[in-house]
Amino acid sequence: MPSLPEDPTARVLGVPSRRSLLKASAAGAAVTPVLAACGGDEETASSGDGEPQRGGHLRVGVAGGGASDTLDAHEPTDNVDIARNYALYASLMRYSNDGTLEPYLAESLESNDDGTEWTLVLKEGLTFHDESPVTADSVVFSLRRILDPDDPRRGAGDLEGVDYEALEVVDDRTVVIHCTEPMVTLPEALAEYYNCVVPEGYDPDEPVGCGPFRLTEFEVGQYSLMARHEGYHEEGLPYVDELEIIDFPEDDARVNALSSQNVDVISQVPHAQVAIIEGDPSLSIMESETGMWLPFTMRVDQAPFDDVRVRQAFRLIVDRQQMIDQALSGYGQIGNDMYARMDPSYPEDFEQRDQDLDEARRLLDEAGHGDGLEVELVTGDISAGVVAAAEVFKEQAAAAGVTVILRRVNPSDYWNPEEGFPYTFGQDFWSARNYITQTAQGSVVGAPYNETMWGEDEEWVELIDQARSTADVEERNEIIRQAQRIEYEEGGYIVWGFVNLIDAHTTRVHGLEPAVSGHPLGSYAFHQVWMDQ
Amino acid sequence: MTRLIVVRLLFGALTLWAVSLVVFAATQALPGDAAQLILGRDATPERLAVLREQLNLGEPVAVQYLHWLQGIAQGDLGTSFSNRQPVADYLAAPVRSSLTLMGLSALVATPIALAVGAFSALRRDRAFDHSSSMGTLIVASIPEFVVGILLILLLGPGGLDLFPSVYAREGGPDQWILPVLTLALAVAPPIVRMMRATMIEVLESEYVQQARLKGMSERLVLWRHAAPNAIGPVAQVVALQLAWLAGGVVAIEYLFNFPGVGKVLMDAIENRDVPLIQAVVLLIAGIYILVNLVADVIGLAANPKVRVANR
Repeated sequence: MPSLPEDPTARVLGVPSRRSLLKASAAGAAVTPVLAACGGDEETASSGDGEPQRGGHLRVGVAGGGASDTLDAHEPTDNVDIARNYALYASLMRYSNDGTLEPYLAESLESNDDGTEWTLVLKEGLTFHDESPVTADSVVFSLRRILDPDDPRRGAGDLEGVDYEALEVVDDRTVVIHCTEPMVTLPEALAEYYNCVVPEGYDPDEPVGCGPFRLTEFEVGQYSLMARHEGYHEEGLPYVDELEIIDFPEDDARVNALSSQNVDVISQVPHAQVAIIEGDPSLSIMESETGMWLPFTMRVDQAPFDDVRVRQAFRLIVDRQQMIDQALSGYGQIGNDMYARMDPSYPEDFEQRDQDLDEARRLLDEAGHGDGLEVELVTGDISAGVVAAAEVFKEQAAAAGVTVILRRVNPSDYWNPEEGFPYTFGQDFWSARNYITQTAQGSVVGAPYNETMWGEDEEWVELIDQARSTADVEERNEIIRQAQRIEYEEGGYIVWGFVNLIDAHTTRVHGLEPAVSGHPLGSYAFHQVWMDQ
Repeated sequence: MTRLIVVRLLFGALTLWAVSLVVFAATQALPGDAAQLILGRDATPERLAVLREQLNLGEPVAVQYLHWLQGIAQGDLGTSFSNRQPVADYLAAPVRSSLTLMGLSALVATPIALAVGAFSALRRDRAFDHSSSMGTLIVASIPEFVVGILLILLLGPGGLDLFPSVYAREGGPDQWILPVLTLALAVAPPIVRMMRATMIEVLESEYVQQARLKGMSERLVLWRHAAPNAIGPVAQVVALQLAWLAGGVVAIEYLFNFPGVGKVLMDAIENRDVPLIQAVVLLIAGIYILVNLVADVIGLAANPKVRVANR
């Protein structure tokens, strides 16, 4: 009887790079805090060592925010909403910093053999901000609110197989979740921050959750103030008394706010500005390797990419290291045309694909493009580095006799069918998800963002279906790897790299640790942050 | 005079209506709709349908506009798409902040610019005059947000570290200095140049010559005879510049993360939040129209020929 999908190979991130993960925590240590404004003693120079101190008011500048700011637990959209979500609410499962699943509000989550029936038991003594207990009824209420057919929330897609009617309360702490189809991805879905638990009768205007902080003030488009939730279930956490999350839609303003110590922490430092912060002894950088990827997307159902040889050639055109150096200022990891890097099934053993222009030319020649090929690449400023990557690709492709014409689309219209999405040849950005969950989003027929129109491959579809109903983790990963092999050889994605995320904080701030989720600040882990008092 | 003001106000209202039509048409012409933009990458067909229903995006465009117009006629600015709050509530605080910023900038810029302009006229073709006209020419030719960035580099944390370059909720009064200075520098040059030109003209006029020949003190000549006659044309320019502030504030607020209407407008455009865009644009246009009207009235009041004529 498999319980929580344990990661059998609890992988530390592979591919050591010139910037190792350790750099993040060493950065602070390398800088003597002599000049630090609030000079703690030498032991507390880096983020994360020394004895945590309680108290203080933590001010965090987060990228984004505006009139659409919401406090609704199940409707967060932009970064500021997500940051608040992590602070106010808690989910049944969660991702640890290395991308493995662990129980959060749940004590256990067990499935039957084919993943159609899941038994969830809550931890004991959980309380909401209003001191009412977290019960099985709260869980059922939350799941129904997310799945509401008249107003489906953000997580409704992840929970599609859950039987809305048949959520069964066994006792105060136990819920049985019946599914209409095998749902081996349920633990992942329940680990998403936007599938969190709220009390019955939840009102987003007076939000109550059971996360580490409770709301005290909220000004749309500007800031939110929170105070420690004294009944938070993780012993001794959070350390700070108050948390303030401030909207910063503008990059420069956010960096300036940190430089002038108007805030203690900022998320998402633009790669070009890292040097400025590194040059300031009172500030530290935290770099996180993530599973976020910025693929090129080739539609396998449209010329010229309906010929598999053209797809293979395009994958051989890319000089991956050069693209990371130029598009991400070097802050990234080389990709191997395969996503879901944090999934335990990730095929580390597939041969690393490198630039091979002769082979690319040969394949293109075979496909009938011997005297040149012209393609339009649709790009847009949808995520940092995307447009730069397109420009780099254009240069690299020229060396293989391929002419690339760039068409820039406004980021807010990029996924708009009126602009032609999904494009014959385009780009995208995706955060870290596990393989099966990602395919449901972007690779199977009918997926909301099936931008490569992949998923017609019968053998692959069959493998995915089989994997989706295999509850045994080892067995499932074996099946997934066969599917990955097919996609690695013939798929429509060029996954050239994974993005490293850069956050920054003053040297007063400790306890932040890099996470692979792709969400900044170790998935906004404010409950672990402490400050020199 | 009264009749003139009433007619001008009517034209102003007509202008505002035309502006609202243009803004509405422009937002409709943009690809994508508010529902799609609010949901972003999470826009599943089901969720889109629900949100479009909530925002009445399914109605014909003309009907949507008429609904909005009906609301305006009753003093109701409608409900923001992305925020679901009444626009008037949402805008109250940003409008206050922006008006304060504009007011401070105007208070700093106008007297200094008038003084510099007048002094340049008195010192015509001397060092002060040359350097002030060179300075105003340079500042006038640089976009205001570049001026802002340069000021941040020079006086902000990266440079001399005199003033904060970002607006913070609990910040001290010194955080107003850079945004106000930026806006003041942006509006001052035309006022300086106009004041100088007008003063030169006035100082060469017959009545000033006459006053000097009578042996009046130079100070009396300046204040009694020259300045009042310079006010009319200069007031027009001052008003134009202050009206420009209403729009110029947009980019500057964004730069300093200042919580005013500029930041709201940027965000509203990004979200295709039609009611919010309309409200902010109408506000800016309204300020423009009013300030221009006031300028005309001052110009006329300073002109005795008009003042006494029966119009």
